[in-house]
Amino acid sequence: MKARRIIAAFAIIAAFSFAAWSQNFAGHQPTIVYHPPEITSISRGHLGGVVLQFRIPGGFHINSNQPKQDYLKKTELKLDAPTDIAIAGVTYPAGEDRSFPFDPNEKLNVYTGDFAVKVLVRPLRTVMPAKYAVHGMLKYQACDNAACYPPKQLPISFEIKVVKAASETRHRNPAQSPNIH
Amino acid sequence: MKRDPVILIVVAVVISLMLVFGIQKTRHSRPNSASALQGKPAPDFSLASLDGKATLKLSDFKGKAVLLNFWATWCEPCKIEMPWFVELQKQYGPQGLQVLGVAMDDTDPKDISEFAHKMGVNYPIAVGKEAVGDQYGGIPYLPSTFYIDRDGKVVDRVYGLVSRSEIEDDIKKALSSTGQVAQN
Repeated sequence: MKARRIIAAFAIIAAFSFAAWSQNFAGHQPTIVYHPPEITSISRGHLGGVVLQFRIPGGFHINSNQPKQDYLKKTELKLDAPTDIAIAGVTYPAGEDRSFPFDPNEKLNVYTGDFAVKVLVRPLRTVMPAKYAVHGMLKYQACDNAACYPPKQLPISFEIKVVKAASETRHRNPAQSPNIH
Repeated sequence: MKRDPVILIVVAVVISLMLVFGIQKTRHSRPNSASALQGKPAPDFSLASLDGKATLKLSDFKGKAVLLNFWATWCEPCKIEMPWFVELQKQYGPQGLQVLGVAMDDTDPKDISEFAHKMGVNYPIAVGKEAVGDQYGGIPYLPSTFYIDRDGKVVDRVYGLVSRSEIEDDIKKALSSTGQVAQN
């Protein structure tokens, strides 16, 4: 009898919790979560890759970087790097072709769940070795199974550590001292 | 193991309620301020037409039942509704229905116009402004549709894509207003 009461009480609490969750979930712009990477060391004058991880909340999708339909908003990363640190390229993951309940006959190229964007960074040879922050925005537009949310921009940033290239270190150590001769 | 039927019934009822409530909330949830509009006069607005040559006012359609649809070209579910609106405008237009689209795009109105042309839209579309959305309680997502009766009062509002039959039911509700019959 006691166990029955406990289970019934648990079920009622669960129902109320779910109701509260539904109230919060429905109608609110989904926010993509950005997981900043650890500091990446990149030799100056060389290319280095930084992988940015994102998570889309369950039940939502965003268009990929190459949506099939030209009228859809593509997901795009806009970066603003410090002087003399060049963004050599951004590689987006391939989207997944999926159809949704609102139109089972049409496939959309989308991201769902976790996705990663790779940024290629090249510090120029003249850059002082130090830590630098790269800032930017992830532009995306999310939908669920019945509605779409206005385009949004998620601020992002990551740090790189510019170090001297191995070849530079070698050049600075003369093989022989002129005093020997 | 013997299962207590009372517990099973309680659990079944709770799960059913959670499912029904969750689906309803997800499909028809609305901003609180928009709920306050129900039964009240629909806020008038003045927006540019897609070609920029005309101004569209809600008050221009006084005496008609208006289906006011906020949409955007980037909204795939909105695209599903548009052919339905075209058909429903043809079907219920003679009875006094006027479908009115408000495009909430941030793109060139020419692109919106081209999109609407491709979709075969037969009803007027205005270039939306956030301020107008705010007048309607905020438009957190699209499509968002308001049903306005012949007296200019909001009879219903629906957020997100719903079935054609649900749209048709709301149109009938808006048309059945006791107000003055529209003059075409």
